[in-house]
Amino acid sequence: MAFQAPIDTYQGKIREVIMGGESNQITVGGEIAMPFHFFEGEMSRKPVIAMEVYDVAPDNWSSAVAKPFRDVLSDPVVWAKKCQDEFGADMICLRLVSTDPNGENRDPAEAAETVKAVLEAISVPLCVYGSGNIEKDGEVLKKVAEVTEGQRVILGPSQEDNYKPITAAAIGYKHNVSGLSPIDVNMAKQLNILMTQLGLEADRLVMDPSGAALGYGLEYVYSIMERLRLAALQQNDEMTQMPILCDFGREVWKAKEAKTEDEPSWGDPEKRGILWEFMTAASMLIAGGDVLVMRHPEAVKLTKKFIEELMS
Amino acid sequence: MKHKVTFCPDDKQVEVEEGENLLRAAMAAEVHISASCGGDGTCGKCRVIVEKGVVEQRPTSKLTTEEIEQGYVLACLSTIKSDLEVRVPPESRLGKFIEREKAPASHILSAKGWEEHLSSWQRRPPIQKYYIEMPAPNLSDNVDDLKRIKRELGKEHGLEAEVDVDLSVLKYMARVIREADWRVTVTLLENNSSVKIIKVESGDTAKENYAAAIDIGTTTIGARLIDLKERTAVAQASNYNAQASCGEDVISRMIFSTKRDGLIKLQSLVASTISELLMKLADKAGIKFSDTSCLVLAGNTIMTHLFLGLSPKYIREAPYIPTASDFPWIKAKDCGLDVFGETYACCFPCVASYVGGDIVAGVLASGVSRSKKLTLYIDIGTNGEIVLGNTDWMVACSCSAGPAFEGGGVKHGMRAAKGAIEQVRIDCGTCEPMILTIGQTKPAGICGSGLIDALAEMFLSRIVDQRGKINVELNSPRVREGKHGPEYVLAWADETANGEDIVVTEVDIDNLIRAKAAIFAGISILLESTSVDISDVEEILIAGAFGNYLEIERVQTIGLLPEYPFEKVKFVGNGSLIGASLGSLSKEMLLEAKEVASKMAYLELSADNKFMDKYISALFLPHTNVELFPMVMKELKNR
Repeated sequence: MAFQAPIDTYQGKIREVIMGGESNQITVGGEIAMPFHFFEGEMSRKPVIAMEVYDVAPDNWSSAVAKPFRDVLSDPVVWAKKCQDEFGADMICLRLVSTDPNGENRDPAEAAETVKAVLEAISVPLCVYGSGNIEKDGEVLKKVAEVTEGQRVILGPSQEDNYKPITAAAIGYKHNVSGLSPIDVNMAKQLNILMTQLGLEADRLVMDPSGAALGYGLEYVYSIMERLRLAALQQNDEMTQMPILCDFGREVWKAKEAKTEDEPSWGDPEKRGILWEFMTAASMLIAGGDVLVMRHPEAVKLTKKFIEELMS
Repeated sequence: MKHKVTFCPDDKQVEVEEGENLLRAAMAAEVHISASCGGDGTCGKCRVIVEKGVVEQRPTSKLTTEEIEQGYVLACLSTIKSDLEVRVPPESRLGKFIEREKAPASHILSAKGWEEHLSSWQRRPPIQKYYIEMPAPNLSDNVDDLKRIKRELGKEHGLEAEVDVDLSVLKYMARVIREADWRVTVTLLENNSSVKIIKVESGDTAKENYAAAIDIGTTTIGARLIDLKERTAVAQASNYNAQASCGEDVISRMIFSTKRDGLIKLQSLVASTISELLMKLADKAGIKFSDTSCLVLAGNTIMTHLFLGLSPKYIREAPYIPTASDFPWIKAKDCGLDVFGETYACCFPCVASYVGGDIVAGVLASGVSRSKKLTLYIDIGTNGEIVLGNTDWMVACSCSAGPAFEGGGVKHGMRAAKGAIEQVRIDCGTCEPMILTIGQTKPAGICGSGLIDALAEMFLSRIVDQRGKINVELNSPRVREGKHGPEYVLAWADETANGEDIVVTEVDIDNLIRAKAAIFAGISILLESTSVDISDVEEILIAGAFGNYLEIERVQTIGLLPEYPFEKVKFVGNGSLIGASLGSLSKEMLLEAKEVASKMAYLELSADNKFMDKYISALFLPHTNVELFPMVMKELKNR
């Protein structure tokens, strides 16, 4: 008798989260088997790539990753448009770093104006991430939610200590929320429970189980994602059935292997950085990532090709 | 005798024992009446009208003669003497509380009645006193004094075993028997097969034979004086373990013990707490210190080591080996209990580094080791120890819960003593609480059961979220931003014993959630590793130094225990202390303790990386896997 590979069956299904306004909707999620296990179940949707855009020109990007954006770094609107038109971004992830109280400390209304301008310029869905400051993010994202009503933006990162205002804003203005938890299955689930308890529909949530780059904790995030996915599919655990957002672009370009420029024995710095980001992206895809937040256009291109090949 | 009490206008009924307090009956019936003084009678808010039946009322100045004629009473000052119909007037109502399915009122197995367990063992204390009258020696009857005593013991009391004697007794014996004109009382220690004379006193003092049972807890030390002749408890006392100044948990105590003079200091601190308790007991009972002829102690392995002055250094280092698990009878004065010079002491045998004599004592006292029923025994203290099994097999594990359940590390925490808030209800509309204290006096703090109650109520009334964070946006003066973060006011300053607001802070809640998570995680792993489903467990026994009113329902609401039929959960009180008490009355029981200790298998949780995972998932109310708690979630929804 010929060998028959064992096949797992699953009871659960990943929720489908719709992003974008009426004219530019895309949906992620819907998986009924482990990622790319086509022999076990359908995976009808491709993972999507959101390209990072900063609301002020970043001052610490290595030239390898800054180069493709050289002409647009100081204008988020043009930058976002370039990502969409030239680099084929499925989504834009706009980071409101200027709102950080320890930095430029821009006020929420001003930041929201940038969001509005970006949104008007692009036709792909938007994800807006605050600066990561617990208190300020609550205020900023509330304002952002208000000016983007109806556009099903992903608001984030919503964390244990500020999920209330962010979730309330998402409920009020009908957006999605990305919940950020510290590399732990239980904590990711707890945050989902807390946000849904406030009244947010479960299919307006994506999980951000923390980003990590190759060589810098990738395997931890990988195993957490895998466990979340197994709980969702095998145990039909409703509070882990959210699509997963992987925010690793900025982690990759912090790694010395990606950003070091004057180390000829390590090879071409640009190529090295791109591959570092791509390798991270590939791992995240296999672990179950649904939305990848990435930085370098060439890494995005490689990842897209990789997705095509995996899907075919 | 039971009486039925009906409360109008809610039309709620409850059956209670005669003599039960009317306010407690109302709480049991889920009828909520204003009560902010803890049942002291000073706030005068719990006014109700007795429409039918009889109550005994303590006098109060809070009611006018007219009101008394109309049938008004203060519920907290009334004891129930017959079936009753009680009306709660609008001004005493606290609003609508959370409706919940009632747990049977009998889920409390209090510390009274502990001696009934003793029926299963021979009632022969390890320390006996015999009064003998000897013929004075003469030239023809010229055996030595010791032989003379032994001869008389054999003749008058049928004592045939080989009798040994302490040198210290020999030193004073000759003088004492002569001064007493050959009429003396001899105290014997009967251990296993050997018998030893440990004291010779003048005259007949056989009636004055007392033992002290002591539970050496990491946070609290409990002691009980037992009249060995009457086989009754005559006094009880407890106090915080003075070692707490050297660290809150066993790990920090072990670290302290390795410092210079650390072990000596820890030993003398625990000895001083025990000494003070013993003196207090003797005072309370009106006996001489020297009448306490025996101490039976039960503590966890580290507490036992420290009491005996043994270094716990190697317990802390892998592979975690104690010096001994089985301990000899010793003289109390060798452990720094100088006042009790001739008193003998024994410690309950331990199982492993982190499962000690307190658990062995509790398992024996609560009957687990002789029961056919598959039982889960949980001792909730600074260390949470959990035992699963029955007479055929037992597996134990231990997890560090911290002192929160004993009121430690909690802003207004206190031991389960007079004035401690032990029951709490909170109105989910107004956030107003109803509190009852131990001894029904003005509240002085909160004890473990009060904290569990408070957290459960705060959770169900949405004052805290599932992560244990207080919702400061609630429109209530009781929820406020305090010095150390958000807090909830359980009692205002003018109602408390020390004139300070009694609050539950977010930090307190966090400590309590960590404590309950550790225990829940321990239970989960113990069940998993023995492939036992919670539904296969036939009985759950909870031990711990709580007050008298630990409510199983609330324990489940906060997710300390899995959801499980209420009627199969019993609260045994301080199992360790009850076990030690029984041990002082039965040497057979003490012998069996050795057997039980060696039979119990130990599961090391630190060897299992699943513990951390289970712990984090239990750091949530009631649990991250909410589907494990359908009843609690239903209650939360129906609030």
